[in-house]
Amino acid sequence: MKDFFRHNGILILIAAILVALITAVVSMLLGGIANPFANLAGIISTPVRNGISAVTNWVEERYSDAFEQEQLKDELEALKQENAELKAKEREYDAALQENERLRNALDLRPKERSFDQLESAMVTARSTSNWESSITLSKGSSMGIEVDDCVVDEYWNLVGVVAEVGENWCTVRTLIDANIEMGGQLVRTGGAAILEGDLALMGEGKLKLSYLPENSQLMSGDLVITSGRGGVYPSGLVAGHVEEVRTDASGMTEYAVIVPETDLDNLQQVLVIKDFNIVE
Amino acid sequence: MTRQDFLIKWGVYALALLPVWFCEVFLLNRFPLFGVAPMLLPLAAIAVAVLEGTVAGAGFGLGVGILCDAVYFNPDGAMTVGLCLLGVGAGALSQYVVRQNLVGCLLCSLLALACIDGVRILANLLTGAAALPVLLSLAGREIAWSMVFVLPVYALFLWVFRRVPKKTVL
Repeated sequence: MKDFFRHNGILILIAAILVALITAVVSMLLGGIANPFANLAGIISTPVRNGISAVTNWVEERYSDAFEQEQLKDELEALKQENAELKAKEREYDAALQENERLRNALDLRPKERSFDQLESAMVTARSTSNWESSITLSKGSSMGIEVDDCVVDEYWNLVGVVAEVGENWCTVRTLIDANIEMGGQLVRTGGAAILEGDLALMGEGKLKLSYLPENSQLMSGDLVITSGRGGVYPSGLVAGHVEEVRTDASGMTEYAVIVPETDLDNLQQVLVIKDFNIVE
Repeated sequence: MTRQDFLIKWGVYALALLPVWFCEVFLLNRFPLFGVAPMLLPLAAIAVAVLEGTVAGAGFGLGVGILCDAVYFNPDGAMTVGLCLLGVGAGALSQYVVRQNLVGCLLCSLLALACIDGVRILANLLTGAAALPVLLSLAGREIAWSMVFVLPVYALFLWVFRRVPKKTVL
């Protein structure tokens, strides 16, 4: 330790404390906007991340082509059958929609409206490096108008997460299974409202929980859960996942449902960032 | 050691850090084992501290800590101070308590990872994010999986250590 005190070891420690303080204070003050160190690292590494992401995606696609053809054939058959069933349902929905429109006109109600005019497509360029949070990094940032709290969905409009940190040409998205996620959820079958929240224990399994369940809610495995949009921060109607099972918490007093996300978080390549939305229910 | 030697030495160490960073950020997090990915950057800081001693351990720990806070999500500066202190600690341990070899590096890495995850557990307990058994399970799996990588990381930095000037004076 003599060497440490003789050879400027204390100065290195002081420098570390100062850098840490600056990082902490700047991160706190900027509130979601990346601090200068992180922004610079992000700007420099974004092209590298894009390249690596493109290469790994290409390798995964070749692997899939080579070894998963049988599975793809089965999936295609199942999808054809599902498509036929959905077409039959669509005919029923068309009739119901027309009836709904007639009734709305008769009651002079404001027409329902869902518009997501400002969407930004982005590539997933990196995934969480820590086991204590779940996040993905995207190839677009503040230069494309992306802001903190923007919702991110996949190509099927399943919820992926919420933008948590924005840099110049990149942003980090907290996925919906992250322990710090909390947003309003709604059960499609019963209409009951609850809270979708991440849980550290479930995060490792790629799941989240639906807590504050409505009283006497008879949940069934497979019940679809969507965002409720309460509070106006996040849009309503985005599919979060489906109920897997109902568990009782450690206190034994309350129940929560384990939700399996609809989106495939491990294999996401391209996502859409909802920069602005207008919903009239 | 001349100024040029000094710059070359730490430039080479920085270059050796690149594949470690690449593996952690782009490769190993895609293939988690038991639901966790390993922590490699702290292992790099500890390996250099074990080989080079307290002063160099603190300096390299500071550099790696800044890199961690820059590339990890939600930076709070904790890794900068933490890895600098762990570098000093690992350097001191390797000078006075354990040998400057793989076994010493394994012990120092285990202690360092336990310290990092200990702080995370405390922080999560204070915020009420999860129960202690859940946090201990996550930390245990993370430390166990990370320890597997001590050997390759140590081997990489030992290879660099044998090819750069030895005495570091700031």
